[in-house]
Amino acid sequence: MLTSKCLKGVNVGYPLGIVARDIKVLETEFNSEFVLRIIPKLDWDTLWNAADSIGHSGDLPRTLSDDYENDVEFLKKVHHVLLEVEVINGELVCPESGRKFSISKGIPNMLLNEDEL
Amino acid sequence: MSENKRNKKAKRKQTKAKNILLRDTGIRCSEEPTKVRMLLKCHNNFVHRKHILRLSASFQYVMVANGGLVTGLQQEQLLEITLPYGGVDGIVMLPGKSYCFIIFKDIHSASKAYAAIHGKIKITPDDSGPLYLAYTEKVPELSHSWNYDYKPPGLILLEEFVTEDEEKLLLNCVDWKTTDCHLGQTLKHRRVKHYGYEFQYDTNNVNKDCPLTDSIPCECNFLLDRLKERNVCALSSFPTQMTVNNYQPGQGIPSHVDTHSAFEDPILSLSLGSSIVMEFRHQDGRAIPVLLPRRSLLIMSEEARYAWSHGITPRKMDVVPTLSGDLTIQRRKERTSFTFRSIRKGECNCVYHDQCDSYKKKYRQSEGHIKDDTLAAKLESLHVHEVYEEIASHFSDTRHKPWPNVLSFVQSLPFGSILVDVGCGNCKYFGYSVGLFEIGCDHSVGLAKVCHDRGFEVFNCNCLSLPLKSEIADGCLSIAVIHHLATEERRLRAVEEMVRILRPGGRALIYVWAKDQARHNTLSSYLKQDRKTKSKDYNSQLKCVSQCNSVSKSAGTILNEVSHQFPSLPVHTNRTQFQHHDLLVPWKLKPAVKSEPDQKREESCLEKGSHEVPTFYRYYHVFDEGELERLCSSVKGAKVVQSYYDQGNWCVTLERV
Repeated sequence: MLTSKCLKGVNVGYPLGIVARDIKVLETEFNSEFVLRIIPKLDWDTLWNAADSIGHSGDLPRTLSDDYENDVEFLKKVHHVLLEVEVINGELVCPESGRKFSISKGIPNMLLNEDEL
Repeated sequence: MSENKRNKKAKRKQTKAKNILLRDTGIRCSEEPTKVRMLLKCHNNFVHRKHILRLSASFQYVMVANGGLVTGLQQEQLLEITLPYGGVDGIVMLPGKSYCFIIFKDIHSASKAYAAIHGKIKITPDDSGPLYLAYTEKVPELSHSWNYDYKPPGLILLEEFVTEDEEKLLLNCVDWKTTDCHLGQTLKHRRVKHYGYEFQYDTNNVNKDCPLTDSIPCECNFLLDRLKERNVCALSSFPTQMTVNNYQPGQGIPSHVDTHSAFEDPILSLSLGSSIVMEFRHQDGRAIPVLLPRRSLLIMSEEARYAWSHGITPRKMDVVPTLSGDLTIQRRKERTSFTFRSIRKGECNCVYHDQCDSYKKKYRQSEGHIKDDTLAAKLESLHVHEVYEEIASHFSDTRHKPWPNVLSFVQSLPFGSILVDVGCGNCKYFGYSVGLFEIGCDHSVGLAKVCHDRGFEVFNCNCLSLPLKSEIADGCLSIAVIHHLATEERRLRAVEEMVRILRPGGRALIYVWAKDQARHNTLSSYLKQDRKTKSKDYNSQLKCVSQCNSVSKSAGTILNEVSHQFPSLPVHTNRTQFQHHDLLVPWKLKPAVKSEPDQKREESCLEKGSHEVPTFYRYYHVFDEGELERLCSSVKGAKVVQSYYDQGNWCVTLERV
């Protein structure tokens, strides 16, 4: 969901590249209904690419199948990449300008310098 | 219902109310009336003479268990019911409560009223149940006392100003039958007729270039001489504009200050036909009822004319004092007021800037607020961002209790919604709904860390440029954030950014600090938290001194740097009403005291004399009534769904269309 469009001269700024140095995998409670509601709000390609770029795409399908709503195993996988995989240290990279935003202790820093606005 | 059953029900209702009272205020009820010595409490900024005299007298308090401000019970109604049984010294109504208190003059009156009313008498015939009463030991401190001993400065009341014959003459000279709709108009709550110049209610001003053909009737001419006879030389010449208002019982006029640029000082108003109580209100929260007797002349000059608003509450009776100082009910009759005003030539030059349209016009035109964007960014950086980094952990320790209205907004979002809290602080609104995808962002790295430690998704950014895709959020929060932005343009940009990230139909809730912290005569929780002056004494609460000179050393450098650039930025005194729109609010850093060993450590620190607490100054722009709504309405692609005042904040719910 994050974008670097706020940077001066950047038109789309999406999706941001991810460089992950530390990844933490946690366990959170699975709620199929919740995941089901969230999926339509996401850009599936972006999610897949993001998961893939940090080596966590697993056996997530590249495209959404038509009947994913009833596929509990699939929903669990989405739940996993969405809510259980966290980049602790790393960077987000603007696809246009190459500007890097650091992720430190799990918190992306999207603050800009004055001359970038 | 049988007698026995009714008694049981009354007992049950009473017990329930007693428990609520004990929980709310810690005040206990007693079975029997007990003598209570009245302590002298100075509720207002003046001493109630009546109470001094009665210091040694005993009073009796009675709680009305099922009637109060929340149920719409009016003090006048209650007084009307209780007065037949004995003397009443006052009624105490608490904001937001469904119960209230009657202070009886003695036990005898109280027990007589109790026996007659409790479980028996209804306020109106169609009420579902009777009133239930209970004796209490005390009444809560916030008291509304009818006090006719004090008047706003500059207010003069001349009783018996005209005779009964003159009254008749004056009333007869008003021709209400005039067909011209402009001249004899019926407003929502009263009939109005203008002479000399027409007062236009849409602009709250007069058209000075366009006098009416009807000038002030010659029947009024003797009034100027009468003024001289009474030794009041408030006027050099007779006013050129007159407005006649005709009020039926139950009608009133909303509280207002006569537009400064429209009329000179003073304003005169003659009351004919009936007495009435007019309420004067000061922006600091003081409210003073003034009884305007029939055939009296009211002169509003100086502070009373410029700084106090006046109005008449629409009701059919008033609470008025008797000669002996007790309270009684007076039914209103048809009243006609003749208001005389002199048209002002040029602009107003008064010192009451907050109410002065001339001043506001001039101020906005010349120096204005901070306009330069770079300067604004610098101010925010120094006096918002840096401060929050410094105080992050202490700030977070003081912020746990979510505000109910914000929480209900969050909980109203449908299951599976994406909620973005822009300026999330310590994420105090997260974790209350299981079905939400919650994302927080804040400029403060320290606060973001607090959120992450609490297990929430969060990132750092500036709310002026959100690094989020458009139309991704179902809900958006901005609680106490955009009042930290130093120009209107920047505040607007922040709202636009939130609207941009909302999907169509998505909603945002915005809270900002209100300049008026004592709206509707009720202190906001911000004022109430004043530990030093728990007395709720308005006068001490509302004194705001510019303390630029006494600022502690630790922050001196920052302040100097900024005061260099913003020479007019005043420092606010915490827990008081705001005196300015753009100001610095001090934050005193204290070590978080949680466990007992910590506290001891702190005490020992104090003993060593290292108790100098660093003070930081946060920049705020506090909002006027309607300002936030106007700001939000000007954002394209969004509509204001709701706009309200909540505990010293102006609040708007926006919807992306």
